[in-house]
Amino acid sequence: MNHVLYVRLLDLACGAFLLAGVLVLWRRDLAAIVRLFAAQGVALGCLVAVLGVDAGDPEVVGLAVGIGLLRAVALPWLLRRAMTAGGAGRETDPRVNVAASLMVAALLALLAYAVTRPVVALDPAPAVRAVPVALTVVLIGFFVLVTRRRALSQVVGFLLVDNGITAVAFLTTSGVPLIVELGVSLDVLLAVLVLQVLTARMRAAFGDTDLDDLRELRD
Amino acid sequence: MSLTGAALGAGLGSSLLAAAAGTLLPRRARRVGAGLGTGAAGAAAVVAGGAALSGHPWDAWYPDLLPLAGIRLAVDPLSGLFLAVTGAVAMCAAVYGVGYARGGPRGGSGLDGRVTQAMVPLFVAAMLLVPAAASASTFLVAWELMALTSLLLVVAEHRRRAAVAEAGLWYAVMTHLGLVVVLAGLVGFAAAADGESFTRMRAAADGMSPAVRGAVFVATFVGFASKAGIVPLHVWLPRAHPEAPSHVSALMSAAMVNLGVYGIVRVGFDLLGGGPEWWWLLALAAGAASALYGILQAAVATDLKRLLAYSTCENMGLVLLGVGASGLFAAVGSRPLAALAMTAALLHVVNHAGFKTLLFLSAGSVVHATGTRDLDDLGGLRSPMPATTALFGVGALMASALPLGNGFVSEWLLVQSLIHALPSGGTVTAVTMPLAVAVVALSAGLAVATFVKAFGVGFLARPRTPAAARAHESPATMLAGMAAAAVCCGALALAPGWAASGLTRAIAVAAPGPDAVSAQATLRPAGLPSTMSPLVIAVALLVAVVGLAALLRAAASRRARRRARLWDCGAGPMSARMEYTATSFAEPLQRVFDDVLAPETDLDVTPVTESAYLVDSVTYRARVGDRIEHRLYRPVLAAVEWTGQAARPLANGSVHRYVGYGFYAFTGVLVVLAVLR
Repeated sequence: MNHVLYVRLLDLACGAFLLAGVLVLWRRDLAAIVRLFAAQGVALGCLVAVLGVDAGDPEVVGLAVGIGLLRAVALPWLLRRAMTAGGAGRETDPRVNVAASLMVAALLALLAYAVTRPVVALDPAPAVRAVPVALTVVLIGFFVLVTRRRALSQVVGFLLVDNGITAVAFLTTSGVPLIVELGVSLDVLLAVLVLQVLTARMRAAFGDTDLDDLRELRD
Repeated sequence: MSLTGAALGAGLGSSLLAAAAGTLLPRRARRVGAGLGTGAAGAAAVVAGGAALSGHPWDAWYPDLLPLAGIRLAVDPLSGLFLAVTGAVAMCAAVYGVGYARGGPRGGSGLDGRVTQAMVPLFVAAMLLVPAAASASTFLVAWELMALTSLLLVVAEHRRRAAVAEAGLWYAVMTHLGLVVVLAGLVGFAAAADGESFTRMRAAADGMSPAVRGAVFVATFVGFASKAGIVPLHVWLPRAHPEAPSHVSALMSAAMVNLGVYGIVRVGFDLLGGGPEWWWLLALAAGAASALYGILQAAVATDLKRLLAYSTCENMGLVLLGVGASGLFAAVGSRPLAALAMTAALLHVVNHAGFKTLLFLSAGSVVHATGTRDLDDLGGLRSPMPATTALFGVGALMASALPLGNGFVSEWLLVQSLIHALPSGGTVTAVTMPLAVAVVALSAGLAVATFVKAFGVGFLARPRTPAAARAHESPATMLAGMAAAAVCCGALALAPGWAASGLTRAIAVAAPGPDAVSAQATLRPAGLPSTMSPLVIAVALLVAVVGLAALLRAAASRRARRRARLWDCGAGPMSARMEYTATSFAEPLQRVFDDVLAPETDLDVTPVTESAYLVDSVTYRARVGDRIEHRLYRPVLAAVEWTGQAARPLANGSVHRYVGYGFYAFTGVLVVLAVLR
C-alpha cells in the first residue's frame, strides 16, 4: 500500500473511531447509542484491517474481520435484544449533563495526549501517533460508566473501554497474537451476556434499569 | 538420573496419581486408591531422602515448567533429611487415613469426599517440593502450594463444627502474612544477589552489606517462625491443628512445621552462611519463649488435640533453641559445639516428627471412637481400646523427655551442647546458655506433667461420659499406621546412634565441622566427657522393674490374699465424678503459673428471691485463654475492625460511586504522570 494512502486511511479510521465514542456522550436515545457503538465497531475493524494490509499480515486482516463481526454485528445485536425486552428507551437525567460531558471529553482527550507523549516519542510512526485517540476512547468509556444511569449505557461504556484497549494493543504492537485476541473477545462476549441477564433481572426486580436502584440491596 | 532424583520423581508422580485416584474413583475405592498412592509417595520420599543423606545429591532445572524462571530442584543431605521425615510421616498418615476417612460407627466422616481425598496427596507432594526447591521462585511456589492444600484440608470438616471456619480463617491469614514476609525476604535477597537460584544467592551472600543480610534474615526468620508455630506467631497452630482431620493434623504437626525450621536453617546457615550474634540471640529468645509458653499452655489444656498442638509449639521452640545455639557457637567460633547443637536440633526434628505422628494418630483414634476431644469427657478407654491406649502410652512416654523416650535423647544432646558452652564463649554465651539450660529443664519437667495428664485422665480410670463408655477399638488400617509410627519411635529411642550418624552429612551442610557425635550403641559427643547409652538405660530399667515386681510378688505371696471392698471413706460406691479431671490435675500448675497464664474465672451467685442470704445457685466458670493472643492480636483486630466501620460511609451502595472511585483514581494518576514527565 502507498504510504500516503495508508496514513490517510489510518487517520480516517481513527477519526471515525473517536467521533463515534464522543457522540455516545451526546446522544440520550439508547437505540442511537447502540447504533453509534456499532459504527465504532466498524471503525475499529477498518483500523485493524488497514494496519494488517500495510504490514502484509493475513492473520491480522483475518482478525480485523473477526473483530468487526463481533463488535459491529454480534454485540449490537445482543444489546438491541436487551433493549427491546422493555424499559425506557432514553437515558433519563445523566449525572453530568450533555454539554458538560462533551467538555469533559475534550479535557480527557487533552489528558490522553499529554500522557502518551513518552510512548509516541519512543517510535513516532503513524500508528503510534494514533495511540492518544485510543486512550481517549478508553477514558470516555470510563466516563460513560461513571455518569450514565441506565444499565444499557453502562454496558456500552464498558464496551467503549474495551474497544479503546483493543485499539491501543493493535496500534502499539505489530499484531496481537490470535490466541490473545480470541481470549479477549470471548471475555467481552461473556461479560455482555452476563450484563444482559443482569439487566433483565434488574428490570424484573425494580421495574426499571436505573443502576442506582441497586442501592436498596445494601445492608 | 541418580537414585535420589528417580525416587523423588517417583514420589511426586505417585502423589499426583493418588490425587487423580482421589478425584476419579468411586467413593469406596477412593480412600484405598488415594491412601496407597500417598503411602507410595511417602516411601519414595524416604528412599530419596536416604539416598541424599548417604551422599548422593541431585539437581535439575526444568526451564519450561514455569514461565520466566522455570523450576529448579536440588536435593542435598539437608533437604534429604526433611524429605525422609516428611515421607515417613506421610506413610503412617496415609495408611491410617484409609480407615479414618471411612468414619466411625455413627455414620460417614465426610472425609472421603473428592476434594479432601485429592488434597492429602497434593499436600504431601507440596511438602516434598519445598525442601527440594533450589531457587527462590520454586521455593515460594511450593511453599504457597503447601499453604493452600493444607488450608483446604483444615476446613475439610467445616460442615460439622462451627469452630473449623474460624480456625481456617486464622490459618489463612497467618500463613499468607508469613508468605508475604518470606517473599519479601527472598526477593530482596535475590535482587541483592542478582540471581534467584540458590547457588547464585549462596555465592553472593558474602559480599552483601550487613544491613541487607540482617534484613533478609529477619524477614525470612519471621515468616518461617510463623510456619513453625513459634511464639508469638503461633496463634493459628492451636486452632488449625486440632480442627483438621487427625491424619492431616499429624501431617501438619509432624511434617509441615518442620519445614519452617528447614527454611531458617537453609537461609540462615546455608545461603547466608551464618551471621552475627544478634541473629542467633533472636532465635534463642524466640525458641525459649515458645518452648515455655507452649508447654505451659499444653499443661493446662483440656482438649486432647489442642494439648498436642501446644506441645508442637514447645518442641519447635526447643529445636529453634538448638538452631540458635548452633548459630551462636558458630558466630563465636566454637565449631564442634555448633555442630553438636545442630545435631541435637535436627535429631529433635526427627524425634518430634515420630512421636507427634503417633500421638496425633492415636488422638484421632480416640475422636473416631468417642466423638469428643475433651479430656474431661474421656477416661476408661483402656479396656475398650487396648491397642490405642498402649500406643498412646508409648507416644506419651516418647514425648515426655524421660529416659526410654526418643525425645530424651535429643534433649540430652541439646543440654550437653548448652552446658559445655561456658568456658569457650564470651560474655553473651556465658549469660544466655545457663538460661537456655533452665528453659530446657523446665519445659522437660512440664512436659512430663502434661503427658501424664493426657494419658492418665484420657485413658485410665473409669469413663466419665456415656460416649467414652461406648468406645470401640479402631480398624486395622488405623492401628497399622499408629504402630508403624510407634516402631519408628522405638528405633529412634533405643538406637539413636544410627539416626545421629545418618544426620552427619545434613549437619555438614548447616554447620560444617568435624563429626559432632561419635555414635555406636553409646552416644559420645565429640570432645566432651559425657556419654549416654539408651540401650543400657533401657536394659537397666527393664531389669530394675522386673526385679522390683518379682520382689513385691514374693513379699505379697507370704501373706494370704484377702478380697475386700475398696476403701471409699464410707461415701458409698465411687463414681466417675470423683476422678481427677484434666482441669483438676492441672490446677496446681495453673496456680503456680497464674501470672503467666492469667486464667479467667467467672463466679456467679444467685440468691433466693426472698432472702439475699440464702444461695439458690452458684455458677463457676474458669477458662485459660491464650494470653498472647488476647494481648497482642485482639488490639490489632479491633483496630482493623474500627477502620472498616469508619470506612463504611465511603461505600454507600451506589454502583456509580464505586466506578467513580476507579475513574478518578485512574485519571488522577494519569494527570500526575502527565505533570511529572
